[in-house]
Amino acid sequence: MQKIVEVKNVEKIYGKAGEKQFKALSDVNFEVKPGEFVGIMGASGSGKTTLLNILSTLDTPTSGQVQIAGQDITKLNNNQMADFRSKKIGFIFQDFNLLENLTAYENIALPLALQNASVKKIKPAVMSISEKLGLTDILNHYPTELSGGQKQRVAAARALVHEPSIVFGDEPTGALDSKSARALLDTLTKINREDNVSILLVTHDPFSASFCDRILFIKDGEIGQELKKEDSSRAEYYQEILDSLGTFAE
Amino acid sequence: MLNKLALSGIKHRIRDYSVLFSGLMIASAIFYMFMSLATNQAFLSSNSPASATSFIFGFGIVLLAIITIVYVNYANTFLLSMRQKEYGMFMMLGAKSSKISKMIFVETFAIGAISTIIGTLIGIVATGFVSRWLISALDMQVKHFSSFYLPAFLWTLLFFVVIFMFSAIKNSISLRRSKVLTLLNRDSQPVKIKRNGVMKSIQAVLGLILLAIGYFAMWYAGNNPGFIMMGIPIALVTIVGGTYFTINSFVTAVLVMLKKNTKYSQKGLNNFTLSQLSFRINDYTKILAMVSMMFALALGAITVGLGFNNQIDNVVNGQNYYDVQITNPDAAQTKRLKSLNIEKKDTYNYKIDGQNIYYRASEFKKQPIGYAQMNTETMQFKLKTSNDPAKNTNAQYELMNARLPSQRTMKVSFVGDAEYNAVNAKGSSLVLVKTNSFKDNLPVIKQISKAEITRYPSLKDAGGDKYSSYTLINGFFSGLEFMGFFLGIAFLAMLASCLMFKILSGANGDVKRYNMLYKIGTQQKILRSAINKEIAILFSVPAILGIVHVLIGLQLFVKILYKPYAHIEIPFAIFLVLYLAYYFLTRYLYKKIVLK
Repeated sequence: MQKIVEVKNVEKIYGKAGEKQFKALSDVNFEVKPGEFVGIMGASGSGKTTLLNILSTLDTPTSGQVQIAGQDITKLNNNQMADFRSKKIGFIFQDFNLLENLTAYENIALPLALQNASVKKIKPAVMSISEKLGLTDILNHYPTELSGGQKQRVAAARALVHEPSIVFGDEPTGALDSKSARALLDTLTKINREDNVSILLVTHDPFSASFCDRILFIKDGEIGQELKKEDSSRAEYYQEILDSLGTFAE
Repeated sequence: MLNKLALSGIKHRIRDYSVLFSGLMIASAIFYMFMSLATNQAFLSSNSPASATSFIFGFGIVLLAIITIVYVNYANTFLLSMRQKEYGMFMMLGAKSSKISKMIFVETFAIGAISTIIGTLIGIVATGFVSRWLISALDMQVKHFSSFYLPAFLWTLLFFVVIFMFSAIKNSISLRRSKVLTLLNRDSQPVKIKRNGVMKSIQAVLGLILLAIGYFAMWYAGNNPGFIMMGIPIALVTIVGGTYFTINSFVTAVLVMLKKNTKYSQKGLNNFTLSQLSFRINDYTKILAMVSMMFALALGAITVGLGFNNQIDNVVNGQNYYDVQITNPDAAQTKRLKSLNIEKKDTYNYKIDGQNIYYRASEFKKQPIGYAQMNTETMQFKLKTSNDPAKNTNAQYELMNARLPSQRTMKVSFVGDAEYNAVNAKGSSLVLVKTNSFKDNLPVIKQISKAEITRYPSLKDAGGDKYSSYTLINGFFSGLEFMGFFLGIAFLAMLASCLMFKILSGANGDVKRYNMLYKIGTQQKILRSAINKEIAILFSVPAILGIVHVLIGLQLFVKILYKPYAHIEIPFAIFLVLYLAYYFLTRYLYKKIVLK
C-alpha cells in the first residue's frame, strides 16, 4: 500500500556550522497510511512545530527525506513548494487564520481560486464541503460575525475543499471551548472515516489526541513511543494516553 | 533602562524610521523653500505685479501650511503604529503610563526637531539648485533670489516646532488613554463592517451631481469672467464634496460589481485584493479625497504655470510685428542681420526737421508696413499690413515704437517724393525685420538689440523693440510660472507621501494575512502582484479624479490664458513620472514590511 507521508532519517539543526547549534529534530522516522488519523504529541519545545513546518514545506530539513503522496518535498524549489501546499495539503491553524475581509464562502473558495479553478468547479465544491460541515447558513457572514467554533469549521472547510492528500492540524482545538472542540473533533473523525481523508494532528492536549488512530510521542526532537488505539474505546484510549504521558515525561 | 529599550526599538526598525525621517525632512525642506520665496518681498516685487503676487503667495502659504499639518499628522500616525506594540509591552511589564507618555512625547518631539533642522538645511541647499535649474530650464528672469533667507528660516523652525509640539502632546495623550490590551492587539482588531446599500447609492448619485455642478461652475466662470468671484468658491465646495462622496460610494460600487463578477473575482487572489480594497476604501475615503484635490491643485499649478510660458510668446508677438528694428544700420549690424532667418525685411527712409518727421508715402506703397493688432477680449492677436499708414493708427503706433525715443513724440507726415526731397534735412533709414520665428532667432535678436542700445544709449530705458518687450514680459510671467512649478512639485511630494504613510501605517496589520496566504500555498510571485495591484489602485483613484478635475478646471483660464490646453502633455508627464516614483517606492516598502 502506498504511503501518504514517509519520513526517513530527518534531522533539523538550527544555527550555522561553527556557531552554537541547536538540534531540533534528530533521526525522525515514521509514516502515515492513506486514511489514517495520526496524532503527534509532545510538550512545548519538543520539536513538534518544527516537524509540522517541515512536513508542510514551510521549512526544510537539514538532512533526511520527506515524501508526501509519493513526492520528495525536500527537493522542491520555493514556487514548487507553494504549488504543492496549495494542491496537496490542507491546513487548520490554532488561531483559525481566516481573512476577516472575506466572507466564509470566499474564505473556503480561496484554495480553489489560487489554483485558478473555474467558477463552475468552485461553487459545487464549496457547497458540498459546507453542507458536510454544517456551514450553509453562515456562508455569507464575515469571520467577525462568527463564533470561534464556526470560524474553526470554516477553516476546516477551507482545508478540505480542494481535496488535499493530507490535512495538517496545528492545535486546531487550542482556541476553542470544550463543546466546540468536541464538535470539531467529531467532524474531523467523520470526514476521516467517511471520505478516507488522512489527517495529521499536532497537539499537546490528550483529549484531542484520543480521537486519533495512532499517536507518536515526540521529546527533545526524537520520536520515542507510539501508541495505537486499535480496539479500545475512546475513553480507554484517553486513559492510555495519560498513562503514556506520565511515563514518557520521566 | 526603559529609554535604552526604546532606543534599541528604534534601531531594529531603522528602515521604517528612515522613511519617516526622510518624509519629514522633505516636508520641512519644501516649507523652507516656499517660505524663502513667499516672505522675500524684494524677490516678489521685482518679479510680479505686487498686488496679485502677495495674494497668490498668501493663498499658497495657507495651502502649504494645511497640507503640511495633515502630512505631519499622517507621519505621526505611522510613528504611533510602529511604536504602540512596544510601548504596550512596557506597560504590561509594569511601566507607568505617565512614564510611557513622557517617552513618546520626547520621541515624537526629538524626531520632529532633528528632521526639521536637517530638512531646513537641505531646503537651503535645494533652493539654490532648484532655482538655478528652473531658471535656466525655463529661461526665466528671476531677480533677488538667494537661497538663504533668515526670516524664512526662522518661520520654518517656528512652524514645525509648534506642530510637532501638538503632535507630541497628541501622541502622549492617546497612549495614556489607551488600554494596554488595545495597544498590544490593535493590529488584530477586527474591522467593523458597514453595509448600507441605500446610503451608498444616495451618496454615489449625490457625488456625481456635486461634481457636475462644480465642473459646470468652472466652465461657466471661465467663459463668463464676471461670474468668477462666485464660480470659484462654488466649484471648490462642490468638487470637494463630490470627490469625497464619489470615492466613498462610487468606487465601492465598482468594487462590489467586480466582486459579483465571479469569473473575474474567483481567479487567484483577485477576490482578496477586491476585499482588501473595499475594506480600505471606508478607511481611506478622507485621504483619497484629499489627495485627489491636492493632486488637482498641484497639477493645475504646474499646468497653469507652464501656460504662462506659452503666454509669453503670445503677448510678445502681439506687441510688435517686427522682431528687429535698426536705425541707420552700420556694417556690424548689417552683418548680424545676415545670420537671421528673414521672412520680411522693410527699409524706410525719413527726415527730421525740427519737431516734424517726414516719411515717403511711396515706400509704404512698395513695401507695406506690418503691424500687430491685439483683441483685448480674446487675448488673440492678428498680424496685418498697411500700405497707407497715414490712415492707420495701429501701423503708426508700430512705426512710432521703431523710432528712437526722442523722435517718438514728433509730428508725423507721410509725403510725396517731391515734397520729401524738398525737406532740407539729413536723411536717416530704419530697417525692420520679421524673422520666421522670434524664439528660434532669439540669440542674434538679443545681440542686435544690445548693439542698438550701445549705439543709441537713450534706448536703454525706453525699449520699444520686441526684445525689450520680451524681457519685460518674460520677467513678469516667469515669476508666476516659477510659483506654479514650485507649488505644484511641493504639493505633489507631500500628497504622495501622505498616501504612502497611510498605506504603510496599515502594512503591519497585513503581515498576518499575507503570511497565511503564503502558508496555504500562494506563490510569492502572486502575492507580489496582488500587492502591486492593490497599491496601484489606491494610487490611481485620486490620480484619475485629479486629472479630470484639472482638465475641466482649465476651463477657468480659457479667457485669461492663451490656449490653456496647449502643450498640456509636458506638465502632465512631469507630474506623472514623479507620482509613479512614489508608487514604486510605496510598493517596495510595503512588500519589505509585509512579505517575509
